[in-house]
Amino acid sequence: MFRSLMLVGLFFLCLSSRGQYPGYTEMKNTESFKKSFIQSTATTESLQADFIQEKTMTMLSEKMVSSGKFCFRKKDRLRMEYLQPYTYLLILNDGKIYVKDGQKENKISAGSNPVFRQVNRILIDCVSGNMLDNPDFQYRIFENAGSWLIEFKPMAKNLKELYKNINIVLDKKDFTATAIGMYDATGDKTVIRFQNKELNAQIPDSQFNIP
Amino acid sequence: MPRSLIRSLIFLSGVMWFGSCNSYRHMQKSQPRENCVLQFKPEFYRVIYKTSADVKKIHISGLLIIKKMSDNSTRILFTNEMGFPFFDFGFGADSGFTVYQITPDMNKKYLIKTLRKDFELILFRNMDSTSSYTLKDSQLVYHAYPQTGGGINYYVTDIPCRHLVKMQRASEKKPVVEASFPGNIYGNEPDSILIRHLNFNFTISLKKITGLAAE
Repeated sequence: MFRSLMLVGLFFLCLSSRGQYPGYTEMKNTESFKKSFIQSTATTESLQADFIQEKTMTMLSEKMVSSGKFCFRKKDRLRMEYLQPYTYLLILNDGKIYVKDGQKENKISAGSNPVFRQVNRILIDCVSGNMLDNPDFQYRIFENAGSWLIEFKPMAKNLKELYKNINIVLDKKDFTATAIGMYDATGDKTVIRFQNKELNAQIPDSQFNIP
Repeated sequence: MPRSLIRSLIFLSGVMWFGSCNSYRHMQKSQPRENCVLQFKPEFYRVIYKTSADVKKIHISGLLIIKKMSDNSTRILFTNEMGFPFFDFGFGADSGFTVYQITPDMNKKYLIKTLRKDFELILFRNMDSTSSYTLKDSQLVYHAYPQTGGGINYYVTDIPCRHLVKMQRASEKKPVVEASFPGNIYGNEPDSILIRHLNFNFTISLKKITGLAAE
C-alpha cells in the first residue's frame, strides 16, 4: 500500500516537474539565449503589428476578443490602438501615458497610478527586450522547435497582488514577441497575439505624439 | 441697511435654506405599490458595458461585465480595455457583498462603499417591502425603500407606472446619487446606464457592447 502511494506520488512529481507549458521544455543553460537575444533586440529599432487580444475570465464562459494596431519605437514609445469592437487609444511616450476613449482623453503623469504605469512598462520591456533586466521579476525560459517562452514571476508586492506571472512567447526566427500573456492572481488571463509583424519600419513621430 | 431688512433677508434665506434642504418635503405620502417598481427590475444574465467614469478631472474607461451566477448571485467586474483588472465585486443572491479583487489604487473603504451602494441601486437590491412607502408630486411617484445602513433608495416612475424615470439614492432629505437607464431596454437588460453623484463630481456611464465575447 505504502509503495503504491509512493509510486503515485512520484508519478505526479514527474508530471509537475515537466512544467506547465505543454510542448515546451525548460532551458537549463540560458546564457547563450540571453546573448543572442540582446544582440537581436539591439538591432530592433521599431516594430509594428496587428494584434488580437483575448481576455479569459473564470466568471465568463466566453473569451472577450478585441483587436487593433500595435506600434513600438525605441527607446520607450508605444502605441496601442483598439479598433474592434470598441475604439481605445493608448500612447506611452517618455514616461507619460495618454489614453483616448471615444471623445474623451486622459493624460496620466509619471507619478500617478503607479501600478497602471508599471503594467504598461512591462509591455514596452517585453517588446524591447529589457524585461530580462527588470529586477521586479524572476524568470524561467522554456523552448520548443519554433519559439521560446519566458515566464516572468513578479517580485514586487503590488504586482504580485495582480499577476501570478507574465509570459512572453518569442519567435525563434527573429526574437520578436509572438504573444504576451498576463495571468492574473485570480485565475483570469489576458493574451495579446501579434500578427503581420513588421520590423524596423519607419514609424513617424506623430504616431506617438501626446497632444 | 435697515435692521428690519436684514432680519427679513435672514428669515427669507432661512426659509429658502430650509426648503432647499428637503427635496421630498412637498410630496404626499401614499400606499406603497410594490409591483409597479419590480416590473422595471433589470435582469443582467451576462452583459458587457463599455464604461467610463469621471471623477473631477480624472477620466477612467474600461469594460464592465455584469453576470448572474448559477447560485443567483451577481458578479460585477471592471477591467480596463487592455485587460488590467480594476475590481471584481460579488453581490449575494439576497444579501451580502464580497470584494473578490480590487487594484491597490482603488482599495479604499469609502470608494468600495460608494460603488457598492451605486450598484445596489441599479440592481434593485435591499427592497424591503415592509418598510417601503410612496411619495407623490403632481407628475411623479417616488417609491421609497429605506436602507439598513441609512439613507433611502427611490425608484421614480410616472403616475400610471408605465416608465421608470430615474433612481435616486438619498439621505433623509435630499438625493445624493441619481441613476437612469437612458437607452433601450431589451428583455429587462438596459443598453445604457448612467450614475451621477450630486454632491461631488463623479459620473459613471455604461453603454452595452456586442461582438466582444467569443466561444
